[in-house]
Order: sequence, then structure tokens, then C-alpha cells
Amino acid sequence: MASSLQTQHETQSGVYTFSSRPRAVPNRPKYRQSAPLLGPVHISNEEQSSYGNIMYDRRVVRGNTYAQPILPITSQPDPVEFLKQQEARKRALSRKRLKEQFGPKTPEPLEGRMNIDVQTEMYLEELSDHIEDVSVECQTDMFLDKPATPLFIPAKTGRDAATQIEEGELFDFDVEVQPVLQVLVGKTIEQALLEVLEEEELASLRNQQQVFREIRDAELVEVQRLEERERRLRVEKENRIKQQKAVLEEEKETADKIAARAFAQQYLSDLLPSVYSNLKDCGYFYDPVQRDIETGFLPWLMEEVTSTLEQRYVARTVLDMLIQDVTNQRLEAFQMKE
Amino acid sequence: MASPRTSEQPPPHIDPTQAPVAFGSWAIPRLLLELQDAERFTRQRALAALCDLVHDHERAYDAILSGCMERLKVLLQDEDDLVRVKTTEVLYVLASHSLGRDAFLKLDIVGPLTSLIEDPVNACRKNVHQALNRIAEFPSGAVFMVSMGLVPKLVLKVSDEEESIRALILSTLSCCVSVNALPALESDAVPVLRDQLSHPSPAIRRAASSALVGISVPADGKMKVCEEHLLPILVKLLADDDRGVVANAAGTIMNTAVITKGKSEALDAGAIAPLLQLVVSENTAVCVNALRALTVLAEVPRARAQLLEHVPLLKTRRTHPNTIIQRAASTAIEVISWRP
Repeated sequence: MASSLQTQHETQSGVYTFSSRPRAVPNRPKYRQSAPLLGPVHISNEEQSSYGNIMYDRRVVRGNTYAQPILPITSQPDPVEFLKQQEARKRALSRKRLKEQFGPKTPEPLEGRMNIDVQTEMYLEELSDHIEDVSVECQTDMFLDKPATPLFIPAKTGRDAATQIEEGELFDFDVEVQPVLQVLVGKTIEQALLEVLEEEELASLRNQQQVFREIRDAELVEVQRLEERERRLRVEKENRIKQQKAVLEEEKETADKIAARAFAQQYLSDLLPSVYSNLKDCGYFYDPVQRDIETGFLPWLMEEVTSTLEQRYVARTVLDMLIQDVTNQRLEAFQMKE
Repeated sequence: MASPRTSEQPPPHIDPTQAPVAFGSWAIPRLLLELQDAERFTRQRALAALCDLVHDHERAYDAILSGCMERLKVLLQDEDDLVRVKTTEVLYVLASHSLGRDAFLKLDIVGPLTSLIEDPVNACRKNVHQALNRIAEFPSGAVFMVSMGLVPKLVLKVSDEEESIRALILSTLSCCVSVNALPALESDAVPVLRDQLSHPSPAIRRAASSALVGISVPADGKMKVCEEHLLPILVKLLADDDRGVVANAAGTIMNTAVITKGKSEALDAGAIAPLLQLVVSENTAVCVNALRALTVLAEVPRARAQLLEHVPLLKTRRTHPNTIIQRAASTAIEVISWRP
């Protein structure tokens, strides 16, 4: 076969060795050759693949090797095995004979009749040894012009895979989007509502305030007006009262004046005589002679009298002194005498 | 492809300008933690997220109760503009809840807020004024603001600001003035308000006239109004389109005319004719104010003579279902037909 075979050769020592280059296991041709190989066959390298896929080689043992029926090393049958096989054959024969005897058989044909095999299925089929064959022939045209080589597109390697998402397979958009939309719209509206609520609350508060303020302003002005009126009236009243009082005052004054005048007049009516009498009593009206006597004569008289009396007094005093002197002298004289 | 298992990746962050919000009750505390972060970007994002969350009442209460007000108070003085804008916006939203307002007053957030009135960023100022407006709308807030001396600053700011903010400032002023008008008077609010009365925007006119109503309640205010010759302008405003403006103008006239000088000036300005037309208006405020103004003016004898002819008109108003209109109409008729 392969020319790469390195045949055995005898070494010089006479020990048989065999070695060959490693080669792939040649593939068995799938179909047996119609004519036996005659003579040496030159097989071109390209056409027949000498390598076959080991995975698809029937000679390779596949599967579990633990409990494989191990072929005997020698091809000689084991005597024990041989006996066993014989017995198995005998049993099979006997079983077959039993089946023949008791199994259902077609009945024998009647006289003058023959049994024919007939097909009983629904569709008849033609049975024949002749194998139907169709012969097909093809022959290339001689020396046609070689057409332009097509663009080399490398063959697709790998497996094609395609996928298509049909509508409704992945998810239902309308159903899925609802919660998201709900949240979005809901939050926005909630926020807006809150703000609107705030504003409304404030607006209603302001309204209330406004109403109150109106009432308050009106009442305030009313109060002020009444106050003002009161004040004016009071001022007016006070003015009037003052005026009245002034008038009364005046009247009273006039009355007082008149009374005073009358009293004064009456009081002063007997003023003159009393004045005169007073003066007279005080001695402003005097009799001149009397006065003269009193002022001139009588003091002189008194002076004279006083002087006379003084003289007499002096005289008496001198006399007294004299007497005293004399007595003293006499006393002294008497004392001296003693 | 949809599968029943949730993905292990974190959910996609849709809005990069907002911090990711944690789930459930951990959202607000986590945002509060992020607010204290040193990095500016984190704070901005946390504020933006908080801003959106506090529109929900439950979250707002959550936030207030877990003490975000102190944090926001500190953030009010932050250097970054966006942080301040967002902080003021959050405060503005929180001021709509009573718990928030209580926290405002207790923690004195109004102080730092007022210092932001001079902020250069427009949006920040607008939010500040909106927040102040909300606080002023309820009574204890207005009292607090007046006691803090906020009114003079607001009066100064009225003429500087742009339109939308001006309307807010004026309405804040009118709320404060209705509590106590004296600080406003002292800071010369009346000339400022007079300028605003002729503004083309109806909102500004309405707010200015309502502030005037409040100012003309104390006696000094009335004198001031007469001195500034506001009555002719007010009589002109009685023919305005906006009902609110008309009602407020009638209110100011009725307040001012309580004093004698006011009466005479009002009569000189010819207030009676427009007021008579307003008596039949459908708007309650307009009607009531007009009636009361007429009542006050009827104390003057010559006005009384003029009004005696219109008594039947007032009698129709007496049958109105609203009680205050009825009362106002009956007092008007009483005063008009009074003889000394």
C-alpha cells in the first residue's frame, strides 16, 4: 500500500525487529470493489484518502470497556466455551422443532388445488429479484472554455443560528409600561397637586383674612367716626358750658359789684361824723387857751414846784448831813474818851 | 429586556442638578446632613432637592421637626448666590405652615432674612420678600416684624426695587401697618406711598392704597394724609379699574374724613359723587367702604343737605343680604337724617 512502509529487515545480530513510521490507520473503503484488485494498484495520493476519521472507524471499540467480552488471545476455541456453544445450538434446534410442530401452519391444500402465496396488506408490492436500477450517465463536454473563476467566497464554517423575536414573545409593552408610567405621571401629578393645594390653602386663608379685614376696617372707621363725633360733641358741649359759665361768672360779678357798691355806700354814709368824732377824740380839735395853759403854764408851774421841792430836799439833806456829821464827831469824841 | 430581578446598579440619576433623594423617612435627614457638607456643589444639590420635597406637607413637617431651620439660618449667610436663593425659597415654602412660622419666630430667622434685603441677587431678594410677606400675613408675625423695626427699612426699599418685588414689599408694609402704624408714619411712608399710587401696575396700586388705609387709622396719619394732599389723588382713584384699588381708596377717604380737616378736604375734592356711584357696586368691600365714607362725610351739614336727596338709594342697600352692608346703610341713613 503506502510507500512509506519500512519493511522489516534483519539486523546484523539476527534479532528480528520491526519498526515503521507512524501512519494513520487506513480507511476501509465503504463499498467493496466490484472487481478484485488485480496486480499492483497504484493509487494516486489525492483521490483516495488513506486517513479515515478514527471516530467513525468500526474497528475501534467504543463505549464501556469494563465489561467487554474479551476475545481470547488465541483463535482456538476454548473447550469449555466450545461445549457451551454446542449446548446452545442444541437448545436452539430443539426450540425450533417445537415451534414447527406446535406453531400455526397453513392448512394443506384441497385436492386439485394449489396454495399460492398472496399479499394481504393494503398496498400490494411487487416482489422480484430484479433490483430496480436506473442507469445514469454523464459525460463532460470536451474542452469547453473554462469559465471565469468565481469570486472565492470561503465556505461558511460554523453553524448558522437564527433567532427571531416575534411580537408578544418578549414582553407586552403595554402591560409592562403601565406601572412605570403610573409612577411617573403619579409623582408629577402628586407634586403638582401638593403645590396647588398649598396655593389654595393660602388663597382661602387670604380670603378669610380679606373678609375679616373688610369687616374690621368698616367697624374701625365706624368706631372712629363715632369717637370723632363724640369728641366733637363733647368739645362742643364743653365750649357751650364754658360759655355759659363765663356768662354766669359775669353776671355774678356784676351782682357782686352792685352789692359791694351798695355796702360801700352804706358803710361810708356815716363816715364823716365818725371821722369828726374820732378826730375830736384824738384831740385834734382843741381849745387854744386851754392848750396854751396846758402846754405853757402848767409845765412851768410844775418845774417851779419841783425846783422848790428840790431845794427843800437839798436843804433837808444838808441838814441831815450836818446832823450826821455832828453825831459822828460826838461819837468819836465819846469813843475817844473811853 | 425586562426581567423580574432588579438591577444591581443604582437607579439612573435623572436630574444632575438635584441630590439623589433617599427613600422614605431617610430622605430628609440625609439631605440635612448633606447641607452641612463643606463642598459647595453638594450643598446646592441638596438644597435643590429639599426645595422640591418641602412642597409635600408631611415632608415639610418632618424637615421642621428634625431641625432644618437652624441649618437654613446658617446657610442664609453663605457666600454662594445659588445657595442663598435656594435657602430663601425653602424658607418661603416653609413659612406657609404654622409650625414653620413658629420656628421662624422662635429661632429669630427674621433677623438674618432682613439683612438679605440688600442682597445683590434679584431672585434672592424676591424670595426674601415673599417669605417676609408670608410671615407678615399672620398677626403675630406682623407684630414681631414691627417690634423688630423692620418697617423703616421696608419703606426705604419701596422706591428702589423693581415692580414685582415692590408689590410684595408694599403688601408686607400694609400688613405691618394694620398692626401698628406709628413706625411707618415716623419713617415718612406717606410721600412714598403717594408716589406709588400713580404706578401703572394694579397690584402695586392696590398694595399701596391698602397700606394707606392702615396708615390713616391713627390721628397723626390722618393729619399727614391731609397735609400731603392725598385726597384729590384718592378721589381720582375711586374711578380706577381694579376693585381692590377702589375699595382701598374709599377706605382711606373714610378714615381720613373722620377729622374735620379731612372732611373739608374730601368735600373740596368732590368725593361725594363717585362714592354714591360706588354704593351700588357688587363688591362687598367697595360697597361697605363707600357707605361708611358717606356716613363720615355726612356729619358736615352741607354734605348732609346734598346727601338727603340720595337717601332712597341708600335705603335699597339696606335690603342687601350681607349684614355689614345693612348696618352700614342704616347708619348712613341715620346720620344723614339727623337733625341737631
